[in-house]
Amino acid sequence: MTVAVALLLGAGLVAWLAPVHLKRLTASGSHPRVVLVAWLSSIASVVTTSGLAVTALLTPDHGAHAFANFPQCFDTLLHGSPPQVEALSGVVGVLLLAGLLVRLAVMGTRTVRRRARARAEHLAVLRLAARQEPGSPATLWLDHEEPLAFSLPGCPGVVVATEGLTRKLAGDQVDAVLVHERAHLRGRHHLLVTAADTLSAMLPFLPLFRQTPTAVRELVELAADAVAVRVCGAASVRAALTAVTSGGAPGSALAMSRDAVEARLAHLRHADQHAGRARTAVSCGVAGLTTMVLPPFVAVSGLLALVTVSCA
Amino acid sequence: MHGLGELEAAVMDVLWRTSEPVKVREVMDRLDTGKQLAYTTVMTVLDNLHRKGWVVRELHGKAYQYEPAMSRAEAASAALREVLDSSGDPEAVLLHFARSASDRETELLRKALPRKPRRK
Repeated sequence: MTVAVALLLGAGLVAWLAPVHLKRLTASGSHPRVVLVAWLSSIASVVTTSGLAVTALLTPDHGAHAFANFPQCFDTLLHGSPPQVEALSGVVGVLLLAGLLVRLAVMGTRTVRRRARARAEHLAVLRLAARQEPGSPATLWLDHEEPLAFSLPGCPGVVVATEGLTRKLAGDQVDAVLVHERAHLRGRHHLLVTAADTLSAMLPFLPLFRQTPTAVRELVELAADAVAVRVCGAASVRAALTAVTSGGAPGSALAMSRDAVEARLAHLRHADQHAGRARTAVSCGVAGLTTMVLPPFVAVSGLLALVTVSCA
Repeated sequence: MHGLGELEAAVMDVLWRTSEPVKVREVMDRLDTGKQLAYTTVMTVLDNLHRKGWVVRELHGKAYQYEPAMSRAEAASAALREVLDSSGDPEAVLLHFARSASDRETELLRKALPRKPRRK
């Protein structure tokens, strides 16, 4: 029981405290892909650690033979409750976890299907109204004054842009916008956002899950900006961002994306110093591994501290 | 092979590039799809577009004459409005480059703010 509780506490601690640290990582100018990997593997780790906790409840000796040299008191400490209670909580835990995973699968497929349907309808209307510029992905140009650009996923996805964009922005800025949108499609960012929404709907009471949609939306923008910076330079991306967001009606404030845009502008200051692709890949690996082992590590250190204190 | 959507887009393109109402035969001649399409195919496409409200038609003698129900810019605005409005609902995934708020959005946001403080 104690092992299971320690593992659950480890998972819970990470689920509560990880968002703060991950956001600090973003603000410090880390590569958005690294933070994205850290964020998603934290979630995976919290889920697997909870799974481990449940397994520990159902395994009679908790793998305690590995600790056979520990004093007798360790055994009582390890269990801390009668076997029947452990088995019962184990079964309840398995049922809870299985229920959550089934719910995740059902909700996920439903969301994906609903979004695919809406996307197909949008695409049909946009294709009719737009001039299509072939390419991979294709670009749909709309005859509209306001400078706008967005991407729609699919097989293949499309980039939608207005002619106002080419009228109000310089050539290199338009390129930066288009590269940014293509990066969304190539990086499957829409899929990440959908996954984030589903996860957060599953466990909204845990900060790590609740904050995932907002964080992932911001991080994929930063990641797409990073690609645009690599291709077109930070100055073009900054100019494009400023031009598009101030292009609305005079005096109008930025709506939903105000914070995100400020974060992006701030992040562009770091963009030129980003490490090469290989270094970023290594950092992604390190970030993923660290966050994967963190909850069990917290649990084991807590357990060892407990053993030291009570069996000394 | 052209999908139905692409054919419809090509036909709308012809109608928008032509200033006066045209017959099916004229649309057929001006279509640049790489291969000759059957008269009935083009007629079906125009019929679909009429049903969807994209074109209006008028009977001249024995044949219908077709013209766009709205200009290309109006169609673009309508399409944008449909897509962007539904992307305000959390279900839709649409990744914008960035978006400036219209006055109406700003007003709605201002009204929504005191009652629903943002979670940080």
